[in-house]
Amino acid sequence: MTASNSVDFQGEPIGRENLLETVAGVKHEGVYLLGIFAIDNGDGSFEIKYFFGPEKNSSTVKALSILASIDFPSISGIMPAAKIYEREIMDMFGLFPLNHPDLKPLMLFPENWDGTVHPLKKDWDKTIPEFKKYGEYPYKKAHGNGVFEIPVGPVHAGIIEPGHFRFSMRGEPVLQLEIRHFWKHRGIEKLCEGKTVSEALKIVSRISGDNSAGISLAYLEASEKILGIEIPIRAKFIRVILAEIERLWNHVRDIGYIFMDMGYTPKAQAMFVLEEDILRLNKFVASHRYMFDALQLGGVASASDIDINKTGAIRGVLKSAGEKLKKAEWYILNSPSVTDRIELAGKINKKTAEELSLCGICARASGLRRDSRIEMPYLLYGETVQVSQKTFEEGDILARTRIRIMEAFESINIIQNLLAWLPESGEDLIPKDCAEGVPVSSGWAIGNTETPRGNAFFYIKTGEDGNIERLKYIDPSFRNWPSIQYGILGGIIADFPLVNKSMNLSYAGNDL
Amino acid sequence: MKIPFTKKNIIEIKTEPAEKFGKDEGAFDIRIKGGELKKTVDKIFGRSLFVRLVDSGSCNACENELSLLASPYYDIERFGIKFVASPRHADILLITGCMTRNMFNPVWNVYNSMPDPKLVITAGDCQGENPYFGESYSIMGPAGKWLPVAMHIKGCPPEPGAIIHSLLELTKKL
Repeated sequence: MTASNSVDFQGEPIGRENLLETVAGVKHEGVYLLGIFAIDNGDGSFEIKYFFGPEKNSSTVKALSILASIDFPSISGIMPAAKIYEREIMDMFGLFPLNHPDLKPLMLFPENWDGTVHPLKKDWDKTIPEFKKYGEYPYKKAHGNGVFEIPVGPVHAGIIEPGHFRFSMRGEPVLQLEIRHFWKHRGIEKLCEGKTVSEALKIVSRISGDNSAGISLAYLEASEKILGIEIPIRAKFIRVILAEIERLWNHVRDIGYIFMDMGYTPKAQAMFVLEEDILRLNKFVASHRYMFDALQLGGVASASDIDINKTGAIRGVLKSAGEKLKKAEWYILNSPSVTDRIELAGKINKKTAEELSLCGICARASGLRRDSRIEMPYLLYGETVQVSQKTFEEGDILARTRIRIMEAFESINIIQNLLAWLPESGEDLIPKDCAEGVPVSSGWAIGNTETPRGNAFFYIKTGEDGNIERLKYIDPSFRNWPSIQYGILGGIIADFPLVNKSMNLSYAGNDL
Repeated sequence: MKIPFTKKNIIEIKTEPAEKFGKDEGAFDIRIKGGELKKTVDKIFGRSLFVRLVDSGSCNACENELSLLASPYYDIERFGIKFVASPRHADILLITGCMTRNMFNPVWNVYNSMPDPKLVITAGDCQGENPYFGESYSIMGPAGKWLPVAMHIKGCPPEPGAIIHSLLELTKKL
């Protein structure tokens, strides 16, 4: 098996005066930003870690770190994608990013939280500030003749998660869009601290309900590396099958939403019927419609073992999924009213995508070859399961929808092949030493998997007692949300639902 | 081990047609329950019960289940129940998620914008025992602490059939 997600770590923290130079060098090599986060060392100093994606023809993640106590240099001048991570560090640790262009509170709202309290600091005494107004959130303002604002949210019309969008318009075209999220901030990173690895798994699988399997896999990648658990081969097969079923139903639903927002209801309902079929299949296969708790430390839960009945059921649903998706693809490619609506709308060009370090479908539709299953292979990917790189140069809604359809077909193919080659049912689903009691080990590791939205990234550090000291999760939506602000520029406001649905980013995963 | 991906390698196993597999679970049940629900909705609410959903910090599985209520399998609008865009049109406020600090004021605003008489119901385990996120610093506790909650729908997430069943139980009591 491939050594998955190894890290090229410089070891000792580098001097902060060398940071900008090093980051510029790293960027020159063509790598993108995976994430920035801080760790409280407990002695008044903080370690700020920078993770970068692998170079071409390598699966090694690059990492840097610096030490900070009060402030740290912002790298957002070199990598604009860093902006939002640095705002998060300021909120959670109170470290000040120097020369940051857009410094506002991110997760903790001044409307109800005292800005001097930083919950992820180890010396926080857990006294929660009184619920009252401490300040105003400074929205961006566009000035000029005939410029007006349309604020939307946080409570939207319909069954959608909360988020605030503020459009500045002049006539029809959108001049500027400001997205304010984190209404659903649940404090998951703090919640996981001090928990055992298997306790935290239950919380982690509920970060973003529709990507539960993908996110849990990233968590398990990291934690199993720390604990040194070798997963049985049958469990690996089942894990990949479950992850691909999840990818399939996510894509089916999102294609349905595209039809819905275009006003093409019959096709949309056909997709929703298929979605419900797959969710019922999930219930049958993994005993939960969203696969909560289907994956366990060391393997998979015994309830999600795949026997002959389940194999038959999966094949049946896959067959009808293939037929329905073929029809949907035909309509998208051959009906002029569909292509007129979504071609060239919501365009994100390659340069923007690169600067914002996008991932997942948004990146691939803008011509970037990014897929964790190929770049940083895990489980069976890269060897047994070969995933093809699918990219489009256009970067518009049509490109994103076409990639979704291609990926859905590929998932069907992968599941069918894995079912045919599934190892004997007598084999273990969880290693014996792990079934009796979870081993304890201290250390740190990263985990990175491709969820239907892009790569989910985990950093986990455990203490001497084996409990989690620091858990950092970066959702694909966290990376991709800022790109909508660029995709809608110059477009009309009626394009916004389509742009939004073509990416279908998670609010829950973003807000944590 | 390498698997060459060709069609020849797929072993054919007898498959069940998807339709039969998908529809087995309680489809008939929903039709009966839905019919009863329609009767009570017709009588009490003059044929239309409007629901306004507010997500106060869920993992989005609850929202997915609720949006599937409008899909052809359940098609809740045939029973007279509609999810509306504005709280001004709503009879019922449905709250999912674990009531985060940041969503506290928006939820109150929605409740205050609804005309009387109004009912509040909650759905999902986040609004019940909340075993996963309850201890966090940014959770305000279940909505029942702040609003008059008439009913709670259990489940993580509650399945669409369970939601229809619960709405029937609620309307029976009115």
